Formats: sequence, C-alpha cells, structure tokens
Amino acid sequence: MSFEVNRRLAARRPPLASDADIDPVTAGIIRGAYETICYEVATHLGRSASSAIINQSNERNGSIIDGHGRLAGLSVGIPQLLFISPMAVRWGLEHQREDDWGPGDVFVGNDPDHGGGHLPDYTVYCPCFDDDGEIVAIQALQTHQGDTGGKDAGGFSVDALEIFAEGMIIPGIKLVHRGEPRRDILEMLVRNNRLPSFPGDIAAMISATQLGARLLSGLVGKYGADSVRAATNWNIADTERRFRAQVADWPDGQYDADVFIDHDTVGNLDIRVHVSCRVDGDQLTIDMTDTDDRPELVCVWNTFSNSRGYAMAQLASMVDPTIPKNEGLFDAVDLIIPEGSILQPPPNKPAALGAFHPAVEVGEAICIALSEILPARSSPQVYKIGMPNAVVGFDAAGTMWLDQGVDVRASDASATQGIDGWGSMCSGLGNLILASAEEAESRFPVLNLSREMTPDTGGAGQWRGQPGTLNVKQVLEPFTAVAWMVSMRHPLRGLLGGDDAAPYSCRYRVGTPDESRVENAISVQLPADTVTAYQYGGGGGFGDPQLRDPQAVCEDVLDEYVSLEAARDRYGVVLNGSVEGGDVQVDVESTRALRAQRGREPSAQ
Amino acid sequence: MSYRVGIDIGGTFTDFALLDGERIVLEKVLSTPDDRSQAVMDGLSKLAEREGLSLADLLARVDAIVHGTTVADNTLIEMNGAVTGLLTTAGFRDEIELRRGYKEDIWDVRLLPPPPIVPRRRRLTVPERITADGRVLVALDEDAARQAIARLARQGVESVAISTLFSFVNPVHELRLAELVREALPDVDISLSHEVMPKAPEFERTSTTVVNAYLAPRVTHYLDRLIARLEAAGYARELMVMQSSGGVMVRDYLRGSPVRVLASGPAGGVIGGAHVGSAKSEPDLLCVDMGGTSYDVSVVRGGEAPAEPGWNWHHRYLIGLPMVKVETLGAGGGSVCQVIGGNLQVGPDSAGADPGPVCYGRGGDRPTITDANLVLGLLSDASEFAGGRFQLTRTGVDAAFEKHVAGPLGCSVEDAAFDCWRVVNANMTQAVRRLTAEKGTDPRDLAMLAYGGNGPLFAGIQAQDLGIDTVVVPKASPAFSALGALSADPSIDEERSYLCPATRADLDRMRALWNELDERAERFLRTAGFARDAVSARYQVNLRYPGQNWSLAVEVAEQRGPRDLGFVDEDMRKRVIAAFHARHEQEYGHARLSEEPEVTGVRLVARATVPKPTFRGGFAAARRSARPGTTRRGNLGEGFTDIDVYHGPSLAPGDVIERPAIIEETFTTIAVYPGWQACLDDAGDYFLRRA
Repeated sequence: MSFEVNRRLAARRPPLASDADIDPVTAGIIRGAYETICYEVATHLGRSASSAIINQSNERNGSIIDGHGRLAGLSVGIPQLLFISPMAVRWGLEHQREDDWGPGDVFVGNDPDHGGGHLPDYTVYCPCFDDDGEIVAIQALQTHQGDTGGKDAGGFSVDALEIFAEGMIIPGIKLVHRGEPRRDILEMLVRNNRLPSFPGDIAAMISATQLGARLLSGLVGKYGADSVRAATNWNIADTERRFRAQVADWPDGQYDADVFIDHDTVGNLDIRVHVSCRVDGDQLTIDMTDTDDRPELVCVWNTFSNSRGYAMAQLASMVDPTIPKNEGLFDAVDLIIPEGSILQPPPNKPAALGAFHPAVEVGEAICIALSEILPARSSPQVYKIGMPNAVVGFDAAGTMWLDQGVDVRASDASATQGIDGWGSMCSGLGNLILASAEEAESRFPVLNLSREMTPDTGGAGQWRGQPGTLNVKQVLEPFTAVAWMVSMRHPLRGLLGGDDAAPYSCRYRVGTPDESRVENAISVQLPADTVTAYQYGGGGGFGDPQLRDPQAVCEDVLDEYVSLEAARDRYGVVLNGSVEGGDVQVDVESTRALRAQRGREPSAQ
Repeated sequence: MSYRVGIDIGGTFTDFALLDGERIVLEKVLSTPDDRSQAVMDGLSKLAEREGLSLADLLARVDAIVHGTTVADNTLIEMNGAVTGLLTTAGFRDEIELRRGYKEDIWDVRLLPPPPIVPRRRRLTVPERITADGRVLVALDEDAARQAIARLARQGVESVAISTLFSFVNPVHELRLAELVREALPDVDISLSHEVMPKAPEFERTSTTVVNAYLAPRVTHYLDRLIARLEAAGYARELMVMQSSGGVMVRDYLRGSPVRVLASGPAGGVIGGAHVGSAKSEPDLLCVDMGGTSYDVSVVRGGEAPAEPGWNWHHRYLIGLPMVKVETLGAGGGSVCQVIGGNLQVGPDSAGADPGPVCYGRGGDRPTITDANLVLGLLSDASEFAGGRFQLTRTGVDAAFEKHVAGPLGCSVEDAAFDCWRVVNANMTQAVRRLTAEKGTDPRDLAMLAYGGNGPLFAGIQAQDLGIDTVVVPKASPAFSALGALSADPSIDEERSYLCPATRADLDRMRALWNELDERAERFLRTAGFARDAVSARYQVNLRYPGQNWSLAVEVAEQRGPRDLGFVDEDMRKRVIAAFHARHEQEYGHARLSEEPEVTGVRLVARATVPKPTFRGGFAAARRSARPGTTRRGNLGEGFTDIDVYHGPSLAPGDVIERPAIIEETFTTIAVYPGWQACLDDAGDYFLRRA
C-alpha cells in the first residue's frame, strides 16, 4: 500500500497473447458486442436493484476488462467512473493464484489505496475463462452505495482525518466461489451497512456480473478465445491510433490552467489544481505537477484512480465522440499525477469528498487549458456541487432512510462554441437520471417546494450557460444534514471570454429566525419541518457576451433565462417592452450605441 | 356478406387489406401527404372496383375499418403541431426542459437540445399543492391562474397542457384550471395530465401530456376529416384507430389522448406478427421489419406483444404510456456505407428513395446496403425489383464502393461489399440484443418473423448470429402492417397509481380503482359496438420491492361477461405477493422472500375479440424438393459460389429447398443461407430452419 502500488497498477500493459489474425470488421463487431453486454448488465442491475441511486439515478457503470487488466469496453454510465474500474480489477488480478480464481467466482473491491475510487464505489467483477482455464475478459460493474459503514450514515464525513473513519475497506474479496455465494462474507458486508436496501443491491450486482460473464462466454464460444483476445488488442490499438491522430492535428505547445476550490472542510483556502497540457506531435501529456499538496488539508484528497478517470473523461469529450472508449485512451496520453498531492494522496487519506473536489477540477482545468485550441469541443464535464445534498433519518425501528438529494435540477450545464448550455447538467452526466418529487415524497418524509431555474445564474457569453435551479425542500421529520459548500467564491468558469456561472449557495431553516447560510462544512441535526434552499450554480458562458446576437438575448429575456437588467449590463443589449406583456423587442440603435461605447461592434453588423 | 378493411398509411404507399371471411384482398395506392385521407378514399374505391361494387355499396357492407396512421409521428418529426402552453404547479416550471437530466449521447458535447414544444415563456405556474396522499396543502390561487392564462392567451396558444403535482391522486386543481382555461379560451384544446397519464412521476406525466397537447388539434382534425369523408361515402360504423399499445379504439376515446396513436403503424405489424405466430405454433417471436431506411425490432411473447409504459423516448420526448416496444435502428436497404477514421460505418445515414442506392440509377453515388446486396449476388440486375417497377443497374456501383469503402480499407470491391453486409448484420444483431436485454429475454427462445422489403434477405443470417433456429416469412410480408391492423383487438389498457405496502393494501380502494377503469372501458367499448359479454377484462396489480424503481405487473383475474370483483378478497394480497415473488425470480434470477413488496398501482386490460384474418399453419402437404429456376454467382456469407435461384410465386405448399438459395418473391427476396433449408407450409408461407 504505497505510491509503488499505484505506479504498478497504472503502468501500461502489453497486448494479450494471441495467434489469431483479426480483421478490423470482426474486431469492430466484437467491440460492439462488448458494449452491448455492458448495456445488458447495467440494464439488469437497474431493473432489479433496490436503492434509488442505482435504479433511478443510474449510478451504475458496466465495463469489460481484459486479462491484463486493460479497459476493453464499456457502456452506459458516468464517464468518469467508467474509467476507474480497471484499477480495482488489476489489484484482484495480481492475486488470482493466491485467491484461487476460477469460473463462477465473483469479487468485490472498494479500496482507494488498491485501485479503487472512494469507499462507497463498489466494483463487483466476474471473470470469464476459456477452455484452457485462462481469463479472456472480466465483467466489472461499479455502483455507488448509499452507505458503507463508517462513522457517518451515507458515506460522507466532513471531518474524517483518515480513511478508517469513512467505512469498511475492501481491497478485494471473493463473494461467490464457483457459483456458490459465500454466506459468511455476504453477511459481514450486510452487517456493516446501515441501509435495508443493501442486500437487494448486492444480490442484483452479483447476478448482473454473472450475466455478463455468461454473455462473454457466448462470445468466446462463437469467435474463439484467441480471436476475442486479438480483437481486444486491435480495438485498443485502434483507439490509441485515432486519439493520437486527433492530437497530431492540434498545434504543438503548452497550455496551462489553474482551477481553485474555495476551501477544504476546515477552512484552508484556495486549493489549487494545476494542469499543463503539452502537445508534441501526436503525444499529449497532461502534467498535474504544482497541484496543491499541503498535508494539513482535510477531506480534499482525490484517489489516484479517480484522478486518472476524471482526466480521461474530460479528454474523451474533447475528441471525435465516435472513438471507442477503452484502454487505448490511456495508452495515448501521458498522465503525470504528482505523488503526495491532492490528486495522488499518501496512503490512508480520507477519500469520500475528494471524488467531488478536487476530482472534477481536474477536468475543468484540462477543459480551460485546451479551450483555446479546441473551442468547438470545450465544455467542462463537471459537477461543482460540494457534495450530494443528502438527508438522512432513522425510523422508529432504527432503520436508516436516505434521500440522496440527487433531485431534478439544473447545474453546471455550460455553453460551448455555437451551442447554449441546455438541459440539466453537462453531457457526460446525461445517464444520471434525477429523482422525481412524486417518487421521493411517496418514499421519504420530504416536500419539494420549488426547483426552477434562477434567471441570470448561467454565465453570460456569446453562447449562454444554462441557469442553475433553486431547489427548496422541506423535511417533515427530524434529520441529519451533511453539507460541504464550495463553488461560492470560485464558481464554474466561463470559456474564451464567457462569464463564470453564478455561485452556489445553501441555506437551512429558511423562513425562521434561525435561518443560516452554510459557509463551509456542516453536519447538523435539524428539527422537523426545516426548509432548505439550495441554489445550484449555472453553466459557464462561452465567448464574449457583447458578441451575442441581440435577438437571442431578447428571446432569453422573454423566456426569463436572462433579466432585462442583465441584458443591458452583461450583454449590452437594450430592450423595450415587458416580459409579462410578451412584447419585448431589441432597441437596435441603443444597443449599437451601448456596445460601441463598450468598444464592441454589434454582432449583427 | 360483411367485410373488414385494414389500412396502413406509410411514407410512400398506403396499404389496404380487405377481409371477406377467409379471403384476403391486398391493395396499394400512393400516399397523399397533403391530405392523407385522400389516399384512403382512393384505395377504398379501388377495392370496391375489384369487388364489383360501388364505393357506397362496399362501405355499407364493411363491418369495421381499422386504421394505422403516421399523422402523430409526422407532426413530431416535422415539429408543426399546435402552439402549446403548459400550466403547472408553482416551483415546477422547468421539469420538461430538465428531462430528469437525460441526454441521448453522453460523449458528444455538440449534441443539440430537443426542439422545444413549450418554450419557457409558455410554461407558466400557479400556486397550489396537493400531497402524496391527496390532501390539498395549498389551495389553488385562482387569480394567479387567470393571470397565467391571460399571458398564454396573449401568446396565441391553440392547445394547453395542465399538469400539477399528484393530480393523479386528487385531480381537483387540474379540473378547476381546465374550467378557468375554458372560460378565457373557449376554443383551445385542453389536455389534463390526470386523464392522459394518471400516474407518477411528474416529468413522465408532464412530458406525455405536453406531447398530447401538441398533437391534439392535428390528430383530431385528421380523424374528423377522415370520418366525415367515410360517412359521406356511406360508411355507418365507427372508424377504429390503431394505438401504440397495439389495441384499436374509437375516435371518442382518442380525442382525449391523441398521444396514443404515436407509433400506430409499427404497432400494427407487431400485432399481426403475434397473430401469425400463434397460428403457426410459434407464439414467441422476434419480429424484424427491415425496409429502406430503418430496421424495426420487437418481441412477441406467448402470442402477445406486451405494451409497457415507462422510459419510452420517442422523437426526443418521453411518452409514459404503454407502447408496443419497437427498437428502431437506422439500418435498411438505403443505409449508406462509408469509412470514418479508418472504421467502416453503415448507416444511420440513408440514401432514401431519392436518389436512393446507386443501383436504382437515379443519381445516387454513395454505396448502400442494397448496392452491396447487388455486388454479392443476393439481388440481381437481371430480375424484377419492387414488383417490377424498375430494374436495378450495376452501373456505377463498383466505382462507388471503390471510392468510399474498398479504397480506404485497401480491399477489393467484393470484399468491401461483404464487409458492409457483415457490419449491418452486426448492427442489427446488437439492436436485437439491446431490446431483448431490456425485456430479460433470451433470443434463443424465440422464432424470428421477418417482413418489410429487406427483412427476409437478412433474417436467416441474423437468426444464425442470435442462435435462433426458425424464421417465418409470410407470403404477404411486404404489406404486413395493413393485415396486422385487422388482427388487432379493440382494447383499452389503463393504470391508476396506488402506493402502499402489499400486506396492507386497502381492498376497497383497489376495488374502487378497478371499478373506475372498468366503467371507462365498458363505455368506450360499447361505443365501438361491443357488449359487455364480448369483452374480456384482465385485472393486474403493479408491484415492486421497496426501493425498486421498476414495477412488475401480476395478473389476479381474467374475466368475460358482467363485472365481478369477487376476487378482491382478504386472501388476494397473499396471492398477489406470491405471484410477484415468482415473477421477480423469473425476470431477474432471484426473489427476496424476506422483503415485503409494495403495490404501485392497478391496471386493467379490457379487450373485445374481433374476427381476424385466418392464418393457417401446418405441414400436411406432401413434401417435395423444389426445382430452381436458374443459378447465379453470389455470396451467402461463405464466399462466392453458384447459388440456386427460385421464382417464389411458382412454389407450392410442401416444397422444400435444401441448399443455399435465393427466392425471388414479387416485392421481396428471401435468402436461404448455408446450413439452412426452406419449406413452404400449407398456407404457402416460408419457414427457414437450420438443416
């Protein structure tokens, strides 16, 4: 358990041994089959799991890992997390002999210091063997658990000084041996989890990965193990080739960016993530040296595996979206993640909150750095929320209930060149299906009072960021709220002259004399009927707002994304008429004059 | 003598199937996009002519006209529906725009937003609130409502959707809002969410209601005009319209929920498929319909096409009502083959009908699947194509493959065509796998039913890839959807939400909900001409384990005749719970016997049975080896050889083809792949089986 383990797990791995000749078309067919199998596995889980975070929010990530631990294929899920599974599986693979791997086995791991993400992210995996007893591929399935033991219900502690406080740590353990569930092990996992839905979830994860392994066996039966291995090699090499071909078209040079996080959970300020993106021919290097490494920081430690995944999720969004996602991406990019920094912490650091920040700032910084050379595909793949806005309570029997707070909202949906920010979140989170009010209120003692977009909270720009919503909620029973607020002083950044998004904010006990704003981190018991108001940040703007088409600004005002005042102040567009009356119109002359006064030509000219 | 007529309006042709006892007469006329009812009248006149009757005499003898329409789908494709407004609960203005976070492509930051049906300026909110148990927490603010309605009026709305929280538990506020809208805007259409889709959750219900409002004026106008024309021509019965659920219903029913006619066309084909499958003792079917631009796949189980409500995205909007699940892939004869980034890609771009594939000789210069089929010898430029409408040409085909595929891949034209054929097959196979995965179905348990112009050519090889042993190709496959419409029963499939632990389910409440559903079904089926004793009613309960998001329906009773809810007794809860555990085990491989399931709602499927086309099956005819007409050079997946070519219309029941072959039918071509044989059953329909 050391940086040495990280170095070993992250090292580039050779292609699989195979004597088979494979043609590109067959390789493509096998790649498609991998993606479809992952889809089938994820669907099976989504239909049968018990907790909302899996079956509603779709935090379920299916991937196929090859016998060398390389990412071979993936499907629906969250891009950042899809790129993480291989590292946990690699740790397991290193011990396949001692742990007596065989057909019908299923394993689980969640240890940040052994290839994992944070503790709630369980990676369950089930290997598929050929007739000679050699591994062909491994079906992995990663999901976020609503609880994983530890001192605080829900998996997030704002004051954890070490990982042992956060929950049960599993480097890698066998759950099913040759098709037989290990009752004692499963009982231990269940006992260490507060949620009554956990047994159903883990049963569903096991049966889903077993389904994946069966489908992989079918593929091996059809094409032969050697051909499947050769196809895996071909596809990984092809992705590397295609990614490098894109990089070769980028101008050589070094592109730097810094992104800051407001503070850690105890008030250390301005935590810095730095990236240097170096383009040299077809080689891209992402160097995170000079990122913060203050040892006194609390909770802002992102696991090594996560840092790799978040970097790659952003990069994958900035190239041709049809390039297959697999290990070839990692083979094409040199990632330099400084040991001991908040992006590769020393052993035993807490990991739960780091998966929010500084994790997403890695992607944001890469996006900002490369936006000047890749404007058409620059859109930060982030969630700037401090941590999930969760509400935890216990019923009369002492059983925990958890409203994860992944409610319908708009947050961080930035513009990119030519396209205003739209929908709820960035595109990468488009499979994360948000909780509905009617389902939540039927299950939990909560009342959703409002969640509409707040005008002017999207960053202004030639293309506008989507506004953020104000989510107001009343909890009808006593509960514990855990919150860590960031993105207040350092909100999501705009790109290429676009404005930053409006900041986040969170208030508790709204409408009472005790109303308070969360300035940093809080873990607090609150009385029944407490109202909370959570303002999500919007998306960042793209390009100079003074260049936005005045008619588009007029439409924005009619739709109340933008106020009349902001139209003038931020966009230099003068409008007449009233929103209520529906007769808002551009005052062309005044707009021209105002923009000229600000030294900008009206875009219409 | 009484007729039944099925009509399916497609993009190019409007198809007709006239049923006279066991006799089926098919007809096809060109569609008339400007006024689609015109083609309906044209075709009916032709049918009358063929029967030696006047149109009025024909219509006087018609018992039922059953109609599948694309009017709703076209409205969403062209985005030319009504100017629509939305009234909703204060605080929930943006649900329809936020889409619960869903985006269709998580890797493409340049994906455009869906075209808005209700821009934010026409989504207005009113203070009011009803809670999960139906209590009025905040009374409706009528002044605010009037102001919002006035603001919609200023924007010229033609249709208004009203969707408030928990209206499906207590509709009082939606009903009052409707009154207020009617006072101010007496001529607009109104869609109420608790009528369109009376269940949680709010995004799904609101989206469905908004689409309903957008479609309402157009669909209603279309149906009214068609019915007026039919009545003027002498038709005295109800027009029956195909619904996305696979049942047919009368106009009065659809007037309140025109969204139910989305996907009306494909649904007809699937229902027809189910019927054919049952007749041929293949009740579990994978239906594949491959035409010029798209490949539609659906699954029939136990002779039925289950229509599931849920996460159905249709033209980028969510429709939460039961829809026969049809997976559509951009793969057809016109799919364009190209090399992008070194990878061969087939579809979803299509050459369409104009200019069409290169081999149509109408100016197309990008190679397509139909061109690949020609290069591979599966089609021939010496044979008739599309019922003899025109001849295919090889001119330009090789050059197009050379330029767009063979050159970039560094292979021969024939190899390039073969690779295209392999890729399109793989794409289709994977679409099937995705669809069956969602249903928890193993394709190896199914037989395949292939129709559409290109389906029968690819069916055998896909069946092979999927581990399917039997493929059925009906002789009428090119005009299958019109026939299918005639197989569909008038039916109503509705649910009502009711959330509670299964052991504590309130029997009075369930009885009341079923009574309400039953009364509605009875009323509309009576309008359609069916007395109570002609209707079967299936009573179902939706359940799930606590925390699950997907419910499974468990049937508690099936009845015919007068309503008798006697089965709702103290013991029912136990029966329902046991049935749910068993169903969960079957679907997901495990049951959680220690957990107490929760009821999420009740459902009623009411259905009247109508006379259907008689599809025969069986293999009584004496088997004999068929004689090929000619041979030609072609590649059926194992390299070029001389392949036998048969003239389909010359084959007879009992004929068997035991070697790889091509069968040329009037509107389609069937391939018999190596390792397979074909035989004609007693009805003259084709069975392909592994040898």
